[in-house]
Amino acid sequence: MIKRILLSLNLCLFATVAVAQDYTSLVNGKEKKDMSASVSRPLQVFTLFGAGFSNQLDTYLSPMEYTGYQLSFLTGRERRTHWADGSVSFQSMLQGAYSHTQNPARTATAWGGRLAYDAGWHYHWQLSDRLSLKAGGLVGADLGFLYIARNSNNPAQGRFSIDLSASAGGSYKFKINKLPMLISYQADMPLMGGMFSPQFGQSYYDISQGSRDHNVCFSHPGNALCFRQLLTLDLEFNRASLRLGYMGDIRQSHVNGIRMHDINHSFMIGYVRYLKILKRDER
Amino acid sequence: MKGRLLLLMAFVLGLCSCQKGETEYDDSPQANLDALWTIIDQQYCFLDYKEKELGISWADIHAKYSARLNPKMTRTQLFEVLCQMLGELKDGHVNISSSVDLGRNWSWREDYPLNLDEELRDAYLQTDYNLSSGLKYRILPDNIAYVVYESFQSAIGEGNLDDMFHSLRMCNGMILDIRGNGGGNLDYVEKFASHFTNDKVLVGYRSHKTGTGHNDFSPLEAEYITPSKGVRWQKPCVVLTNHSCYSAANTFVRDMKEMPQVTIMGDYTGGGSGLPFSSEIPIGWSVRFSASPSYDARKEQIEFGIAPDIPCALDAEKAAQGIDSMIERAREFISEK
Repeated sequence: MIKRILLSLNLCLFATVAVAQDYTSLVNGKEKKDMSASVSRPLQVFTLFGAGFSNQLDTYLSPMEYTGYQLSFLTGRERRTHWADGSVSFQSMLQGAYSHTQNPARTATAWGGRLAYDAGWHYHWQLSDRLSLKAGGLVGADLGFLYIARNSNNPAQGRFSIDLSASAGGSYKFKINKLPMLISYQADMPLMGGMFSPQFGQSYYDISQGSRDHNVCFSHPGNALCFRQLLTLDLEFNRASLRLGYMGDIRQSHVNGIRMHDINHSFMIGYVRYLKILKRDER
Repeated sequence: MKGRLLLLMAFVLGLCSCQKGETEYDDSPQANLDALWTIIDQQYCFLDYKEKELGISWADIHAKYSARLNPKMTRTQLFEVLCQMLGELKDGHVNISSSVDLGRNWSWREDYPLNLDEELRDAYLQTDYNLSSGLKYRILPDNIAYVVYESFQSAIGEGNLDDMFHSLRMCNGMILDIRGNGGGNLDYVEKFASHFTNDKVLVGYRSHKTGTGHNDFSPLEAEYITPSKGVRWQKPCVVLTNHSCYSAANTFVRDMKEMPQVTIMGDYTGGGSGLPFSSEIPIGWSVRFSASPSYDARKEQIEFGIAPDIPCALDAEKAAQGIDSMIERAREFISEK
């Protein structure tokens, strides 16, 4: 089942890329108001790399909070659609992270990994030439693990969830010393979904032997309060923008008697490119 | 508007104030004893059973060992007290581990005769035995296969087992000597046992904890052994056991007891029917404990061992003459079949 979902996830992600490459040509450049309809919807492609603080708790593995560092990446794309006179945009993001944390006594190490994909739509309100707000929803899938080598039959916890999130944000354009800048903010919060969790004292060996005990749970803010926020500053240069930012990513759950949190605060740096997509007959 | 903004900020801050760990770093003796006591109280799967069988009260144990603490005690002294506290459970799967020692209670084997002389066993194997992934075997002069499997940590695959059973196929029977086998991987248990049946066999039940209460358990789930697709043993088999057969070896004996043509001979096994989990206490020491119980096919506890079908012990006088009386008893039994 997990394999199927992963496969579908990959297909979704790469389908976006394939469509863009098959039917369009990508041209570098900035958005201009006088462009034809087909090129006035530039594709924003961004890739960010981050490093920061990580705090992990999973009472299935240990009652202690593990703290340390996290390395992450966030890549995605956003483009206005034809809907509502171009006020609706489509966004997809792929987030990956590796964490290395230790218990408070520094006698044990936990390694964590995570891959999350989100895609969805936002409606934009252009409040002024500079200020824009957006709100919408995302559908996401999250796959991860936390591993503590010294544990016996519970050395690792696997995580898998799918959820429907509310998403909101805004952006503000300004200049400093003639250098165009854009400050953006986006917050995403899952409202409902499904997640995997072993039962309180259920081993993965039992699960592998066919034992099932509420291992797929309905998740909502009452039992899985999660939140991701991304605050970025774009410094716009000729062909691309340098993007600096902060990402706060909080995943929590309390299901089957197991409490988990995965809290990360990262400094992000990367680039943004705006690509004009031309249809075949417009090349 | 201001009020709404403040509310929004409070909400975001609320999200950031996430749930904390159950315990913070603390090297004080009382905090660590409390943390250890709580782990066992909430997650240990045999608490009620042990209280009944051993006549202990886990609640009283907290008071008993708290009285032995003092704030100035050394880490070594604290470790000793915590070991003694866990020792009350008489469970080989319950350990506390620091950088200098492993706290343990091995009364499951130390309080009983060993019923094993490894030099004698080696004499039966001689030097030209087959050695395949932890399986040692040879054919004894009376055409009985003698197989020694000392640990379920030694990986065995279908290929190893098929080749072994194939090479021993002309024997009249098999003595499977697992004395001293302290356990290991349950997958190997299932794999090995599956070569001794032609039908799907109910071998036991298992359960797991569903909450922190002493009786919060999932319904019992039946465990079956399905026949191997490889070579299956159709002749008499005697499994030799002693009190050092623990954990996965205990499960193996449980499974083999349900197999046709198989007889368990020797001493009680050591037990250890709980699947161990790990946790830790604030000082950083790792804690291991039984988390999921398993039962035999009659839903009886096997935590304190499994009785043999035919009890027998190692005769010291005969051992001095180079004779392993348990192996000899097994040979006689197979010859009479």
